[in-house]
Amino acid sequence: MIAERSSAERRRNSRKAEIVAPPPGFRLPKPIRRFQRQAPMYALQAIGALAVRLRELTGRDVIDVGRIMEVVQFIYQQRELARRGSNYAVDDFGFDPQWTESFLNVFKALYHDYWRVETTGAEHIPASGRALLVANHAGVLPWDGTMIKTAVFVEHPHPRHVRALVASQFMGMPVMSWFLRRTGQAVGHPDDTRRLLERDELVLVFPEGTRGTGKSFRDRYRLRRFGRGGFVATAIRAQAPIIPVSVVGSEEIYPMVGDLAPVARLFGLPYFPITPFWPWLGPLGIIPLPSKWRIQFHPPVEVAHLPLKAAEDQHLVMALADDVRDTIQRGIYENLKLRRGVFL
Amino acid sequence: MLFGCDVADPVSAIEAMDFVHADTRLSVIGKLIRQLHIDTVVHLAVMVDAAHGERSVHETDVIGTMNVLVGCAAPSSPVRRLVVKSSQAIYGAGANDPSFFSEEMINWDKTTSGLTRDLLEMEQLVSEFALRNESCGVTVLRLGSRVSEDTSLARYLSLPVVPTFAGFDPRLQLLHEDDAADVIVRATVGDHSGAFNVAGDGVVLLSQAIDIMGGRAAPILPPYARWFSRLALRLLAGVDVPAHLADMIAFGSVMDCSRLAADFGWRPAYSSRSAMDALALGKQVELIEAPSPQQEYELQVYLQQRRRRERQLSN
Repeated sequence: MIAERSSAERRRNSRKAEIVAPPPGFRLPKPIRRFQRQAPMYALQAIGALAVRLRELTGRDVIDVGRIMEVVQFIYQQRELARRGSNYAVDDFGFDPQWTESFLNVFKALYHDYWRVETTGAEHIPASGRALLVANHAGVLPWDGTMIKTAVFVEHPHPRHVRALVASQFMGMPVMSWFLRRTGQAVGHPDDTRRLLERDELVLVFPEGTRGTGKSFRDRYRLRRFGRGGFVATAIRAQAPIIPVSVVGSEEIYPMVGDLAPVARLFGLPYFPITPFWPWLGPLGIIPLPSKWRIQFHPPVEVAHLPLKAAEDQHLVMALADDVRDTIQRGIYENLKLRRGVFL
Repeated sequence: MLFGCDVADPVSAIEAMDFVHADTRLSVIGKLIRQLHIDTVVHLAVMVDAAHGERSVHETDVIGTMNVLVGCAAPSSPVRRLVVKSSQAIYGAGANDPSFFSEEMINWDKTTSGLTRDLLEMEQLVSEFALRNESCGVTVLRLGSRVSEDTSLARYLSLPVVPTFAGFDPRLQLLHEDDAADVIVRATVGDHSGAFNVAGDGVVLLSQAIDIMGGRAAPILPPYARWFSRLALRLLAGVDVPAHLADMIAFGSVMDCSRLAADFGWRPAYSSRSAMDALALGKQVELIEAPSPQQEYELQVYLQQRRRRERQLSN
């Protein structure tokens, strides 16, 4: 039974309510603070009204309100993510899906509006289960990887995260190392490939590696050597179908006319590109050109019927790797024909 | 019968154990083993935190282990089981490494320095011993980084402002002290030969770990020439960051513990994340009153658990 307390006792035991004083220091007057809070809303309303007005005047959409809302959504998403503090979990590879998806709007904008990517064959990607995507690699920076990842997310009925494998040199670079890991990439090591496939992930490899990204502009769309076919051996061991991917358009984003090898060696980079804009224009030279892209996912090459020890059969492995390479090369030529022009 | 052996007195009084003052760096161990008919040797006098100076780490880890092995390897030796403590630091940490280290991924010819090289040398001795003495089962436990209060990593993470390498946020894998003690007991009473990675499930990012500790990450250290950052940390922050730890907080190192789960049928009770939370809560050390050298702690926890069990049996 709870004993009744007298009012005097209650008063004695109760703590005095603390008066929340405004923090010391300069504060703007109240109406201005209120306006600060509501400014984003007013700005959006004004832009909306302007968009309506411009449509009435010109008869077409000059300002796309939906796009602006996407930007606002992106900013709010980032603020939400910052509020998580340390209360989030990454997988064992250091992948943070929530954080990665917050950047999706940016990459979707690049995908739809900047490079106007047309994707075919997305139905060849399994909705669940493992698969090894094998693509050609081009452009000085790996934008093709981001666009393939975005393509699977945008075009596939079951959006999935693609885990790309990157050269280990990038894992030693500041900023790159954590950004790549956080967005789901792993080291291009056979053990990492095997582990990702065993977790039934979609894994993306570029067997050309930096030989592909660092090739000069006049060699565009000519595939380099496909490593030593290690990706085929890994796929056979993991019983994962191989899906060849042809990417067209990535070659023109940075037309590389030269390579300053001594500078590259100095910074520990695989190559130091010279383009018409880099390094002459400084940071502006990093902006990729808006070429027209096409991505084609080819029908999967099944390896499940092969015995596990076929992975040691170097002849078979190289033959399969060459098949995959031919499929990709053919796909590139077909898609180049379908493209009306480099920037159209 | 149980015999303890250390250079210092045990911190807490332990019943059911005879204590001998002995240094593993001297050959007295061999005499003890033969005269007392020891059948199981648990070798924990291995420094896995190089904060005590590289010279003494080498003496303890390599020369000390050699003496223990020589003691166990004598003809007509009574030893049937040997448990050796090792560390995750044996794999080193680098940008070129795979995302997970499994037990056979040791890079023997890596030109490493400090603790990693000493541990490599030590494990080489142990594997040679295992090859020559087939009657003796050898278990090597590669324990993950621990964050009890007196490890370099814990001291580093406990700084109010934690300087980190600019542009790096590696994955850390941690092991709680209780799990470390637990796995040593399991290896001692069980029959599992070979090397085993032991660490908590999952990973925790360095930035998360700093946040859990309530500190602030300051990405100010230049990512190149890590010896310079180590010197700066020692002089300015008073924290000694050994070479293997500097590599770890730049590139991270994560082990694959599936062999442990398969062979021992046991997983650490604390995940990496909860080990970090435990450190933040300060609930880490409940058994020990005074700070003690690390190798002692594990022995004490084992003995106290044993005593508790005995008391339960007698009740």
